[in-house]
Amino acid sequence: MKTRALVSLAALLGLAGCASTPKPPVDPNAPPPAVPASSALEQAPPPAQPPPPARPEAVPAVPLKRPKPMELVVLARPDTPIVSFRLVFHTGSVDDPKGKEGLTDLTATLMAQGGTQKLTSAQLLEALYPMAAELGSYTDKEFTAFSGRVHKDFLPRFLELFTDVLLNPRLDAAELERLRANAISDVENGLRSANDEALGKVALDALLYQGHPYAHYVGGTVQGLKAITLDDVKAHARRVFTQDRLVIGLAGPVDDALKGAVTSRLAALPAQGAPRVELPPVPTTAGRAVIVQKSTLSTAISMGYVTPVRRGDPDFFPLALAFSHLGEHRQFLGVLFNELREQRGLNYGNYAYAEHFIEDPGSTYNRTNIARTQQDHTVWIRPVVPTNGAFATRGAVYFLDRLVKEGIPQERFELMRGYLQGYTRLWEQTDQRRLGYAIDGMFHGTPSFLEQYRQALTKMTPQSLHEALRRHVHPDALNFAFVTQDAEGLAQALRSGQPTPISYASPKTPELLKQDEAISSFKLPVRADAIQVVPVQTVMEK
Amino acid sequence: MRRLLPLLLLLLGAALPAAAQSGPTASFPYTLATEKLPNGLTVVRVPYPSQGIIAYVTLVRVGSRNEVEPGRTGFAHFFEHMMFKGTKNNPEGTRERIMGTFGYDDNAFTADDVTVYYSYGPAAGLPQLIEIEADRFRNLEYAEPTFQTEALAVLGEYHKNAAAPFLKMEEELNATAFTRHTYRHTTMGFYEDIKAMPQAYEYSRTFFERWYTPDNTMLFIVGDFDDAQVMKLVREHYGPWNRKATPVAVPAEPPQAGPRTAHIDWPQPTQPRQVLAWRTPAASTTTPDAALQTVLVDYLTGPTSPAYKSLVLDKQLVESIGSDYTEHRDPHLFTLTATLKDERHRDPVRLALLKEVSNLAAGRVDAARVKAIQDNARYGTLMSLETPRDLGIRLAWYAGILGTPDGLQRHLQNLSKVTPGQLQDFTKKYLTANRLILLSLTPKTASTGGTK
Repeated sequence: MKTRALVSLAALLGLAGCASTPKPPVDPNAPPPAVPASSALEQAPPPAQPPPPARPEAVPAVPLKRPKPMELVVLARPDTPIVSFRLVFHTGSVDDPKGKEGLTDLTATLMAQGGTQKLTSAQLLEALYPMAAELGSYTDKEFTAFSGRVHKDFLPRFLELFTDVLLNPRLDAAELERLRANAISDVENGLRSANDEALGKVALDALLYQGHPYAHYVGGTVQGLKAITLDDVKAHARRVFTQDRLVIGLAGPVDDALKGAVTSRLAALPAQGAPRVELPPVPTTAGRAVIVQKSTLSTAISMGYVTPVRRGDPDFFPLALAFSHLGEHRQFLGVLFNELREQRGLNYGNYAYAEHFIEDPGSTYNRTNIARTQQDHTVWIRPVVPTNGAFATRGAVYFLDRLVKEGIPQERFELMRGYLQGYTRLWEQTDQRRLGYAIDGMFHGTPSFLEQYRQALTKMTPQSLHEALRRHVHPDALNFAFVTQDAEGLAQALRSGQPTPISYASPKTPELLKQDEAISSFKLPVRADAIQVVPVQTVMEK
Repeated sequence: MRRLLPLLLLLLGAALPAAAQSGPTASFPYTLATEKLPNGLTVVRVPYPSQGIIAYVTLVRVGSRNEVEPGRTGFAHFFEHMMFKGTKNNPEGTRERIMGTFGYDDNAFTADDVTVYYSYGPAAGLPQLIEIEADRFRNLEYAEPTFQTEALAVLGEYHKNAAAPFLKMEEELNATAFTRHTYRHTTMGFYEDIKAMPQAYEYSRTFFERWYTPDNTMLFIVGDFDDAQVMKLVREHYGPWNRKATPVAVPAEPPQAGPRTAHIDWPQPTQPRQVLAWRTPAASTTTPDAALQTVLVDYLTGPTSPAYKSLVLDKQLVESIGSDYTEHRDPHLFTLTATLKDERHRDPVRLALLKEVSNLAAGRVDAARVKAIQDNARYGTLMSLETPRDLGIRLAWYAGILGTPDGLQRHLQNLSKVTPGQLQDFTKKYLTANRLILLSLTPKTASTGGTK
């Protein structure tokens, strides 16, 4: 096959979507939307059932729901002295203007950490410290959450400080320089240098969403961050942290007086923000691979594709169970964890996600308020020794493919159903998380989401789950991101499609060795003409 | 002088009556019901309003500190992995199915002094959980190939951690500070020893028999459950467990006679780092040393410290400052760490931090800040114990370090009693030049030729 000219590096890993003039991505070098031929997985046995429906050529951007301006969510609990605030704005890195990637996150960080008009950043820290009060922000692609917690002993003072952060932020030039330097270091030193797993995930985002506002790292690009001025920050705060984009969450010992105080104070925010970014459809490209070249001991692997299924779709819950069966985040029960780590000792763990996953620090659970209009199915292989990189990748796709072809046996289905009935209750054990779910539910149109999940589990069957899998899960549509030292060697291995056998230092069962034969020659859905190698220094440079 | 484990176990026994209850206070609103079984197992139950969710936390007082044999470093951590491999009654995979049926979050971690196992999920699964936990602590079994395969997962964990500078920094600091004590190696262990782990199957059986014993273990059950039923099941399933811990001698570290330095050239782009570390006393129920060091961390580098205001906010010489101090059973290190923005800032930052220490030693102690730190600790503790899991793990940690099930409350009480005078005395005595270890890290990449 003739080798296609590779997509430019900047287009792949650095291009930001335009915040105000949404258009479908135009890249003359990009491969056309592709639904790979069934021959892409030619070793697979012929399907016993009719072939699944073809994938759409693009995943459309069906807008999320819009709650009323400053809609209030209250989860009152008299049995705790801790009051929780969660102010969620419908703005994120999709609102970063082209050339100023990172603006939304940097603006939110400067507001939360940079002091208020009355208090310098040092004075703000001093005021919060004896209360042990928490005040922070987190920005994702489409949402920014300001969260706060305080003991009720200090409620009036904290309320004033917390709302001042939003209403009267200091937006000081020296603080901007400090936080900008940290943000640049986060890309140059944190992302590129110290965390191969995160780097792989960011590279996969850039690959899946090339030309789309999701493509760039939420924390920004180096050149984008350098281009941001204080005036940009001031203007952006007024454009996006507005009443019409805000949901107010309160939990703990909340009474009418507190509700009134919070809403009346926040009514001083600008009433209306900039028009919401209209996201373009995402072409359902498949079989592309980006290999990030860096000096590192092991190989990190991420893979995935964009899907139209998100919360609120009747098929979301069966898919959530199916991906949990494959590998709930950092849990021991998953197929991938057991097959690749426990049976074969390939690495430290392997996980799969039915919707975009970002770990909530201190837990193994997904963050709340990172909802996305366009979702993805992804698989994460924790670093493996380089010689096993291709085998581990094949293993993950092999087990995903088998899941789609064979479904889940009744006994295993019952186990996963029981597991999720209990495990989902752990996702709602703190007030901040309960607020997060309640607020996400407003944007997805899924009130009582976790209760709905548990209800849906009672009605699901292995058959209904298998049908949903066949409709929506596409191993042949996967795209890949790798972080490794010998990038050219890996690219060659992927292009050649030659078997990549594995050897073990300890005895294995004949059944496992037989399965290894199938895995080591399993045809990966990677197109030889769509593999590119990029040096790590260029990732999220601009 | 050699430090002997039996002495510590004796202290643990003396501190703990057969059954005890410690009531709530305003700053720690939980009641601990404690019972010691005849075989030496300590069982602590803590009611917590969690609507049918419980945390089940097992503390074993073993960590990398106990790895006294050459070539066996990292073994406590590796062995923690093996504890998930099954028994004759519950072969590998059974645990995952039983825990999976109920939806438990199930994991463990190992540190220098302790290994902590926790399961977090519905109280409805407690009978099965108690049975399967007692079974693995009494009757663990696994085949050699399973052992060898898991060693590769541990190697993968080391490789994952090695991408960032922190592991290398800890390795270098420990190797510089300790010449004899087992704190010389990190919890992960020496890389060569990790690679050799597949050959240590027989030793792993010895390790289990030596340390996984009821008199070396404490159980913390936190949440919403029927106490009488739980204790009945605990006695039934853990009662027949009858091994005794085998002591080993952990070598004592000789006194440090002068300052030491260590340096790392890091082959990837990163921020330069500067660590100041001093050899300081162990955590103990009979001294305020752990509480003093906890206060000192915030006093010297916390968000309201003069160093933070000057170095982070005003001059912006560093990205962050802090400390890696954690409580230890034996004398360990008190550290100050600075992540520099530029190599040129190294000397001014080091001198600024040393100046803060000198001020303390000279008695220039800001009493209002000490009070603010104590307020922060009191409210921060309340806010950080938001789930049964948070509480169970925190209780287990302090119990493991201090050797008594109410270690956390004792530590909190000690924190509230710290005085400015004590801080001065401690600083004068321990944060001295003779006890200082300086560690620097500089990025030296082939492509850039230096700091980026």
